[in-house]
Amino acid sequence: MKTFYFPIILASLLIISACSQEEGASSIDDITAQSWADIEAESEGTEVRLYMWGGDEGINQYIDEWLQPQLEDEYGVELERIPMETEEILQKLQTEQQAGKQEGTIDIIWLNGENFKTAKDNDLLAGSFVDVLPNFNEYYQTDDPAFSTDFGTDVNGMEAPWGKVQFVFHYDSEKVEQPPSSFAELKQWILENPGEFTYPNAEDFTGNAFLRHLLYEQTEQPSDIYSEPFEADEVNEKAEGMWTYLNEIEHDLWRSGDHYPNSLTELDRLYGEGEVSMTMGYNEARAEKLIDEGTFPDSTKSFVMEPGSIGNTHFLSIPFNSTNKEGALTAINYMLSPEAQLSKLKQDYWGENTPISYEKLPDSMREEFEKVERGDSVLDQQELEESFLPESEADYVEWIEDQWFDEIVQK
Amino acid sequence: MKRNHLPFYFIAGLLFIAPTLLLLVQSFTAPWRFQRGEGLQFQLNSWSLLFSDPNLWSATLWSLVIGAMVLLMNVFIGLTSGKALALYSFQGRTIVESLLLAPILIPVLAVAMGLHLFMIRVGLADTWVGVVLIHLVPTVPYSIKIFHHAYSEVGRPLMEQSQMLGASVIKQFLTIELPLLRTSIRSVTFLTIVISLSQYAITAIIGGGQVITLPMIFFPFLDTANASVMAAFSVWFAILPLVMYIVVEGLLQLLPYSRKPWRIQT
Repeated sequence: MKTFYFPIILASLLIISACSQEEGASSIDDITAQSWADIEAESEGTEVRLYMWGGDEGINQYIDEWLQPQLEDEYGVELERIPMETEEILQKLQTEQQAGKQEGTIDIIWLNGENFKTAKDNDLLAGSFVDVLPNFNEYYQTDDPAFSTDFGTDVNGMEAPWGKVQFVFHYDSEKVEQPPSSFAELKQWILENPGEFTYPNAEDFTGNAFLRHLLYEQTEQPSDIYSEPFEADEVNEKAEGMWTYLNEIEHDLWRSGDHYPNSLTELDRLYGEGEVSMTMGYNEARAEKLIDEGTFPDSTKSFVMEPGSIGNTHFLSIPFNSTNKEGALTAINYMLSPEAQLSKLKQDYWGENTPISYEKLPDSMREEFEKVERGDSVLDQQELEESFLPESEADYVEWIEDQWFDEIVQK
Repeated sequence: MKRNHLPFYFIAGLLFIAPTLLLLVQSFTAPWRFQRGEGLQFQLNSWSLLFSDPNLWSATLWSLVIGAMVLLMNVFIGLTSGKALALYSFQGRTIVESLLLAPILIPVLAVAMGLHLFMIRVGLADTWVGVVLIHLVPTVPYSIKIFHHAYSEVGRPLMEQSQMLGASVIKQFLTIELPLLRTSIRSVTFLTIVISLSQYAITAIIGGGQVITLPMIFFPFLDTANASVMAAFSVWFAILPLVMYIVVEGLLQLLPYSRKPWRIQT
């Protein structure tokens, strides 16, 4: 009796194997050469697929409940949100490129930093398109370095700024009277309150950012780090004080520093349960949502310390094999519009800061923006802007990961 | 013989039932700050959040359909190759046996990336059929192993007997093999469904976002600090294998020589 059907099935699949599609999607340069009115007209009645990380209900609802109906009404564009991790999206694109698949399923991706570098270096993106977006030209400071470089990588117009976030610390104002204003004061506080503070380990996105702040602090000016290309010898020298600092506080950290939270989520849970009195993270307004749903105590407030707070921009881009680049451009343009950015800023859904330039807005619109109540746990705009520090090159991130393990864990 | 069941119930209760109950309670309450001496606050937010996701129902349905297909193919492949490995001797049997087990020794993700390339060429990428096929990789080796073992237990003499009495292959399969393999089918059902249901990375890559299964919605939420939402998701997640298990159990009742629950045991 023949029982091995499996190889037969596989073999038959091989036979069906067709040659890869040749026709492919039209190139972004041809499309952007058209007038904007044509691009919008062509996108009417099409479907645009937005692939993005789906782990935040507020962000998901902003897309599903606000953006989707708006795009449908105004441009007849049907937006579909597909939850997927950015790493997997890039993996998918990379394999599709290897296989020569010119008709992909993704029209818009959401990314920044290292992912953008990967995508750009591997030619996974459609190309330069930001200059043709009317809303970008009209309402954004187009030559802002925050839009032209992304963690030290040149953007070249291949991604459009969608939002920006800044790093802040959160504390429980019932347990901490006066939040520290510098790393020296933080150390003092930690020594006085053993077990009440910790930070995620260096491999975590947020933990690494915490350490980068400390690295900035070691120099005379933070720009010695963020405007300097990475140079291992120099950094080693500058970082001496950083490792001393970390080793000095280690004993008084949560669980005497024997264990560091593996992720920000872990630290947030510890904070939410009252185990520690401080947490931290990108997005200066993120605590609002967590207070609302009861994860964080109501008495949560935020603070920034000297030398400042690192912030970064995140972007929208179009993959090389999008089949609806016109639709993608229309949708991205709308997502950058003042109305969409205003709704994103409000606490109803997402509550995230906007990269738009207030000076360029019409008066009535600017008032709307200024009126938005971001919540008690959010620092005021001026304080955030004054403390803003740009990100350093991506190489620093990796260097900190390695060195932290050697200097702190193994000692 | 009188047996003392108490230790069993105690351990089972402590290790299996208590954590499940805790999860249930947590899904219906706000995150608990016991260090601050607060009591439990009951709420339905986590569940309403869960059901507010527009993809939830279709994702649940897709997970069930894909799980059922994966199970069917597993039973088919497992039964046939398990039987061959256990009852027939042929050249190179040990080689075939170890080859069939190979997929669980190689990381699934590595296999998936290679197969993705292949599936794009064949046109199976971004389809649910492709997802079913990729889910076979981490499940089939176990099924083959389980059925192999089961057929070895049944043994060749029993088969020879029925053949001598003139039973057709089908009749032999239905009246002898299937009833004796019932427990193995149960194990394969549970194992397959649970493995298939929890595949995130390979589903994402092969399904390409066109096929949204439950983990695609669920896994990104592992990053949330809200333990109550996580608990609600986990409970929802756990219901699926349970449903499938009950369905399969019902189907098994249709087999010949099954002990019907409504019959009095003697």
